[in-house]
Amino acid sequence: MDAPAIATEHLTRRFGQLVAVDDVNLRVAPGQFFGFLGPNGAGKSTTIKMLTGLLAPTGGRMEILGFDLARNPVEVKRQIGVVPEGMALFGRLTGAEYLNFAARMYGLDRETAAKRTAELLDFMDLASQPKALVADYSHGMQKKLALAAAVIHGPKILFLDEPFEGVDAIASGTLKAMLQRMIVRGATIFLTSHVLEIVERLCSHVGIIHKGRLVAQGSLEELRAGVQANAAPGSAGAPAGERLTLEEIFLRIVGGERIADQELSWLK
Amino acid sequence: MAEVTPAPNTISLREQFAAIAQLRWNIFVHSLRTVRGRMEMVSWIFIGFGYTVMGVGGTIGLGVATWYLVSHNQEEWLAVPLWLIFLVWQLLPVMATAFTENFDASNFLRFPLSYRSYFVIRMAYGALDPTTIIGCLWLAGMALGAGVAAPSLFLWVAIVLLAFAALNILLGRMIFSWIERWLARRRSREILIVVFFLFIISFQFISPMMQLYFHHYGHSRQPPALALATQLVAVQRFLPPGLASSAVSLSVRSRFALALGALALMCAYSAAFLGLLNIRLVAQFRGENLGEAPAPAAVRRGKETVAAGWELGGGLSGAVAAMFEKEFRFLSRSGPMIFPLVMPVVILVIFRFSFINLRNGSSFLQSHAGFAFPIGAAYALLILSNISYNCFGSEGPGVQFYYMSPVRFREVLLAKNLAQAAILLVEMVLVWVAVALLFSPPSIGITLATLAGAAFAALASFTVGNLMSLYSPKKIDWAAFGRQRASGLTALAALGVQATCMGMAAIAVLVGVYFHQTWPASVLLILFAAGMLRGYTYALSRIDEVAIGRRETLIAEICRAS
Repeated sequence: MDAPAIATEHLTRRFGQLVAVDDVNLRVAPGQFFGFLGPNGAGKSTTIKMLTGLLAPTGGRMEILGFDLARNPVEVKRQIGVVPEGMALFGRLTGAEYLNFAARMYGLDRETAAKRTAELLDFMDLASQPKALVADYSHGMQKKLALAAAVIHGPKILFLDEPFEGVDAIASGTLKAMLQRMIVRGATIFLTSHVLEIVERLCSHVGIIHKGRLVAQGSLEELRAGVQANAAPGSAGAPAGERLTLEEIFLRIVGGERIADQELSWLK
Repeated sequence: MAEVTPAPNTISLREQFAAIAQLRWNIFVHSLRTVRGRMEMVSWIFIGFGYTVMGVGGTIGLGVATWYLVSHNQEEWLAVPLWLIFLVWQLLPVMATAFTENFDASNFLRFPLSYRSYFVIRMAYGALDPTTIIGCLWLAGMALGAGVAAPSLFLWVAIVLLAFAALNILLGRMIFSWIERWLARRRSREILIVVFFLFIISFQFISPMMQLYFHHYGHSRQPPALALATQLVAVQRFLPPGLASSAVSLSVRSRFALALGALALMCAYSAAFLGLLNIRLVAQFRGENLGEAPAPAAVRRGKETVAAGWELGGGLSGAVAAMFEKEFRFLSRSGPMIFPLVMPVVILVIFRFSFINLRNGSSFLQSHAGFAFPIGAAYALLILSNISYNCFGSEGPGVQFYYMSPVRFREVLLAKNLAQAAILLVEMVLVWVAVALLFSPPSIGITLATLAGAAFAALASFTVGNLMSLYSPKKIDWAAFGRQRASGLTALAALGVQATCMGMAAIAVLVGVYFHQTWPASVLLILFAAGMLRGYTYALSRIDEVAIGRRETLIAEICRAS
């Protein structure tokens, strides 16, 4: 069996007394489209920040493509692409200048950088405003540009933190098509999203983090089977043979029903 | 049917103010949780000491001056201190944004604030400004001075000065709110900042032009400007400081109706400022959107060809070249950052026409031309410190890219320092040419010594600046007037480095003076620069550890929402 593309051992991150990520052991195989889910504040962004070098863990270790991230950060970063929460764009550059800059920071030579920049701008439909600064781009255009910068060097793993947030249907279609094309070509994608329908449609495997702990991990079928097997007889668990959606699986794992049943004292 | 318990019908203004005061206090207390926050606190104690000296010293000085003028029946001269207070009150917050803190009260608009509450909050924050406190102290000093000189006058002077203080607060708030309106959009922002710098520069020329003028006409003849000055004095009587002064002096001469008229006119000014401020605050209160709209751009069809990036050569990596190129592209689109770079040449022009010896008509730097190039170079270094001590400040969310990409921070900072060095080099050439044209070409000895001194000081600035950029970063938000406060700690560190460099350069100059030659100074400064280069390379070799250790603070500060 291939070495995992992403593996963490006892990954932990504390912020003072708060344990944001608690002893997470994650394994993502090469070529998987992995959806990383969790309620707000569960530790998704903290985990992705640690996996991409934006945040130091307080415990545990991370291996990306067999490299220890703490020991070989530069080697790891050479092989990954990232679209972080804030997109990491430089507002005072044009789209072309930014992609050119990103390509060369990833070690591409000048000619290759220029060639790929032109191709990506065209593919992402960003070439129509060559003089516009990134700061003047719409949110969707910025997302597409951030994704273009993340893939310009042909990464083996792509980390995407909420890539579809604030993106319209047209831009979203372009992004999805591109991500699926990357999977076909053997890349691994690690994605966080609150839109469970998108994760269900795109991802082959899912990890669910809740209160900092990884509470489920596997293919969608494995998670579905796990939820049905754990449902107590006579409880609200799914009847045998019923096909649960990812949203239902997610809610049962993180205890969503309990919250929905709660009442506020002043909301009578 | 389910129903929601209604929200309280009346919202207590006092409760809202208490909540806001509690919020500000909590923010302050929480800022002390970090080492950086505590260091900032220490630096603010020093800065606060400076303000206290300014406030107390000015209060005593202006109090004594007022006492003198009132007790010698020269009340009309009160216009002079009042103009001083007026100019300091309105200009200091603009010039010293590093040392003033303004909180964006429009953040509170999401809550159910009445317009009255919002207005009062905006004004209250304005009143907490150090300049306002200093201005009020100075006016209190004047009122006391007048009261001691003529106790019967105290109440009237206090009323007039109170109205003058209210006018200053309203005018300051009004100016800030309108400038923020124009700063909210990039294009108008660039224009406004260039206009602002032109204003500051032209302000610097007043003194040299006056000196030139008096030199030209001398003191024996009646210069035509005297007529102009007389007209200006007449005009200033109708402006706020002149009106305040007139209100006092006219009441002393028992011309009460005119004194009341002067006060009424001052109140009319206040009402006008209030009206203009009201227009802005109402617009903010109604939720105007000043966000950047996507700029209209020429639409092109077909595949775009993209030019290849820059190359630096000299064994420097593509990443360093890309960073270097990025720095220049950023700078070329940042009017607020690029415009101050003309200042060293402007300063030389000012020096050319300042400190004129009325006997021979030559300026100080004409008589001592050897100082011109070093002074211009020192000013160029001072301007550069704006960029080098907070070099990530204007990067925005892009700063995360450095941590995501396979590039070491030493390369990032090396490229930034190379770009800064290139700017300094261009500035030095410009300064040299300006010195040659305005005074006389600097000698080879002076040129060498200045270049060596500049290299030493630049390396010291880069070394400390790189560390301060990581240890004490501050997001620069050009759209928020008066809120792009630099870190107080960084400002103090920069002052310390500059003072140390000047001290060491002075030692080198003294050695040169002792030998009656410039070369010993050059040799000493080259040795200093060589030592500093070693320090710089050592610090750069360890900078990745610092950058990794500071990544959370750096990203959190530079990427924070405004």
